Amino acid sequence: MQQLNTQHLRDYPKKPKQVYLFGTCIVDSFFPDTGMDAIELLEREGIEVIYPQGQSCCGQPAYNSGYKDEAKAVAMSQVKQFPLDIPVVVVSGSCGGMMRHHYLDLLGDDPEINNFCQRVFEFTEFLVHVLRLKPIDQGPKERVALHTSCAARREMGVHITGNKLISQLANVELVIHDYESECCGFGGTFAVKHADISAAMVADKSKHLVATDVVRYVSADHGCMMNINGALDYQKQSLRGEHIASYLLNRIKGNSSKGSL
Amino acid sequence: MKHIIEEESKYAASAKAFRANVTRDLGNEELRSNFRGAMDYLMDKRKGAFSSEEELEVLREQCKLIKQRCLAKLPHLLEQLEGNLEKNGIKVHWAETITEANEIIAQLIAQKKGKSVVKGKSMVSEETALNDYLEERNVECLESDMGEYIVQLAKEHPSHIIMPAIHQNKKQVAKLFADNIEGFEYSTDVDTLIQQGREVLRNKFCQADVGISGVNFAVAETGTLCLVENEGNGRMCTTIPDLHIAITGIEKVIEHLADVPPLLSLLTRSATGQAISTYFNMINSPRKPGEKDGPQEVHLVLLDNGRSQAFADEELRQTLQCIRCGACMNHCPVYTRIGGHAYGTVYPGPIGKMISPHMLGLEATTNLPTASTLCGACGEVCPVKIPIPKILLRLRQESVKPKSQQPEVMKGQGAGRNNVEALIWKVWAQVHKSPKFYALSMWGLTRFRFLMPKKLGGWTSVRTAPKPAAATLHERINAKQKKAKQEKQSQHGRG
Amino acid sequence: MTNTKADIKAVSNTARGNILAKLKAEVNGADYDKLPKEIPYDYPEFSREENLAQFISELEKNHAQVIKTTKDNMAEVISEQLAALNITKLLYGDNDAHREIINALNSKIESQVYDFSIDNNKEMLFNECPAALSSSRCSIAATGSIVLWPDENEPRSLSLVPPVHFVIVDANKLHADFASLITAQQWQDKLPTNVVLISGPSKTADIQQTLAYGAHGPKALIVLLINI
Repeated sequence: MQQLNTQHLRDYPKKPKQVYLFGTCIVDSFFPDTGMDAIELLEREGIEVIYPQGQSCCGQPAYNSGYKDEAKAVAMSQVKQFPLDIPVVVVSGSCGGMMRHHYLDLLGDDPEINNFCQRVFEFTEFLVHVLRLKPIDQGPKERVALHTSCAARREMGVHITGNKLISQLANVELVIHDYESECCGFGGTFAVKHADISAAMVADKSKHLVATDVVRYVSADHGCMMNINGALDYQKQSLRGEHIASYLLNRIKGNSSKGSL
Repeated sequence: MKHIIEEESKYAASAKAFRANVTRDLGNEELRSNFRGAMDYLMDKRKGAFSSEEELEVLREQCKLIKQRCLAKLPHLLEQLEGNLEKNGIKVHWAETITEANEIIAQLIAQKKGKSVVKGKSMVSEETALNDYLEERNVECLESDMGEYIVQLAKEHPSHIIMPAIHQNKKQVAKLFADNIEGFEYSTDVDTLIQQGREVLRNKFCQADVGISGVNFAVAETGTLCLVENEGNGRMCTTIPDLHIAITGIEKVIEHLADVPPLLSLLTRSATGQAISTYFNMINSPRKPGEKDGPQEVHLVLLDNGRSQAFADEELRQTLQCIRCGACMNHCPVYTRIGGHAYGTVYPGPIGKMISPHMLGLEATTNLPTASTLCGACGEVCPVKIPIPKILLRLRQESVKPKSQQPEVMKGQGAGRNNVEALIWKVWAQVHKSPKFYALSMWGLTRFRFLMPKKLGGWTSVRTAPKPAAATLHERINAKQKKAKQEKQSQHGRG
Repeated sequence: MTNTKADIKAVSNTARGNILAKLKAEVNGADYDKLPKEIPYDYPEFSREENLAQFISELEKNHAQVIKTTKDNMAEVISEQLAALNITKLLYGDNDAHREIINALNSKIESQVYDFSIDNNKEMLFNECPAALSSSRCSIAATGSIVLWPDENEPRSLSLVPPVHFVIVDANKLHADFASLITAQQWQDKLPTNVVLISGPSKTADIQQTLAYGAHGPKALIVLLINI
């Protein structure tokens, strides 16, 4: 069979008893609620979540800046933190893509690395394909938009899993914004090195999201959201993005959720 | 014998000015809207050209493998191509540098006492800045592709490799024609504008003594030069004047004639959404005895200009798979915002970011590989599956690598290295690979979050600064686990 | 610029040696048998009718005019079309079939055979030949393309310079796609000076993505489809 443009398609394991959570450095320092909500959601499904305290960052910032050796040192230290043969669930498609696809390139294709990469799952991917989660929506009727990060979309297929999870929420209408698949302009150090281009991109992304007239948008990546929410806040817009872990948990619990900034 | 003194490409200076170019063009609203409109149109066209996802993916895989095979055999195919072209009566010339290529062409024209050249679209001749070179030697060079003609009238360069004048709208073209063409009455009617261009250019085709064209595919097996075009100017340039000179990069050679149909099909569909271009022109020889038209002489100039440098590295070699469809720029959110001229290079957009460093060196192009979010839209549509984001990453590595590190992969290696930045990443790595240092730094970040500056360079020019949390996820989980343990113990104690 | 010119033959020879040496150093010892297998897309087979319909529809999408006719009616069709376009002169390639058509044309139409060298006749060709008639070798259904195989009797500029191009296409010589055509006719063994695939009148979208026809070549492509 020809290999189609779906590198995210893979064989999924049965529902495990335990998983690791990789929190990502952004969630750790800026948005810990997301990590707590992801854990609660997984625990509600009867899964024990192990959070190795030695974890830090996937290494992507250095990797994307061309500092391969530095990225390699950090990436290797992360692999060591997740020794058990259980899934590593990552609450970011971008970091997930790094750990699943780029580690092989960075650390070499040896059995330990390969085994680690095979165990990496992006959060929504894990919910849909491994847990086969069917969320029971207890929240009020509302419309939301979904922004999928580019790495999540092209490396992990999150535009499909994220969409599937939101679409299963009975009281939620998913609104597709214009240029939905276009990048928000974050790109890590790109936003600093080429701040003006990044600014032009996030101006458009926030404009298209605001135009949907939803009260919140959902995303599986805090990188993009830090960018888009920061722009929305600067523009004094009321719209905010919320991580899909928190959003789902709140819908299931019937809480009205809030955007994260 | 006099040696050729290599001139630095004029594009080195404009590429160095990338940051200033971006500022200039981001602020130009008309330009921004011209590009957004054009990219929307081209993306839409491409989307409509592939009815089946499966066909697209099978073709992309096939075409990738075709180009990889042809590259794997490149030196041998070049020799085979040369042999077959010469057998067919087409003379072959080789040039390592742009000045060599220009000088060869200038002398071929001089030998024929040529004074007036009509040019079909050729990005390689833009790469060598051939027009400037010939005009300095009193040879008139007229671009005959409508877009190129407009760009030449405006004294600009193409802003897109397929649609050179995409940065101009019809009002701007109308004004340009009114200002430059005698007797043209201002009109924004596109048919009128094109008919005006037709009139001027057909006169030139009739009078010119030299035609210069590019090449889309050079078939080694048969010695065939293939040209893809819609307007007919390519056919004019290669049929009407007495002398035809084609110029192309060494990577354009393909092995078999049978390799053409899949490549052609993906090229036109990826570029403009056409099933095929209006004309597909296959040139095999000069005019033969008894034939009534066609050039008496046909020459091919094969140009290296950095391509063999890319070829020498297995990963970077993939850059040479490119068939110049322009789909990567059409789908690039950065290109859409800044337009083609801001890059300052002949080839803009993602493909330009990959190949310009080989042509101009990393010193002139340091800013290009970093000017990408690595969103991957380009790689997703590339008809020959060049892993564009990965190659950009690789170029970033070459750019910040110490100059002394061997082997030297590229001209200008280490040009983007900055000692302060390098040190920051070193410290960053030390912190992030050590759980103890990491915990300490996170503790500091969250505890002293009130010290977080409100202004963070370019970030806060359009965004508010993010605020660190009061406690890290590490700490919250620790606390949660402690609490759970205590509860368990106290329950145990009570029970 | 100096008066002494570099010897371009020597420049080219040196460049050739350097380029090939660099490239060969990289592929030295490569085993070409180990290259991965290339698998083409397996296109479904179409009936003659389906291919014909596809051929016509693609050409019409590209603004060509397709007229289904017969060998005997062609002269009449051409006469009518020329009259409608207000054209009274037709340039044609020299062969028996064309001569027969030319003889049967409306007597008001002046005909001219392309039996001259282009060298001293460019002005005339560009300015005094409003329409041309050519034959074709075969055609391609998938893309609506007509294959011209110019020779001494049907020069390349016959189908390029006159603003209206009539081309005779034999429905019995229709191939499904370009790939199968090349294979069926083993093109790699023998190619003429020039082959051109034509899929419509000359066009451009270079000004604000607006399609305009008649950029440089024919403004009208009139396909006379016979033996349907």
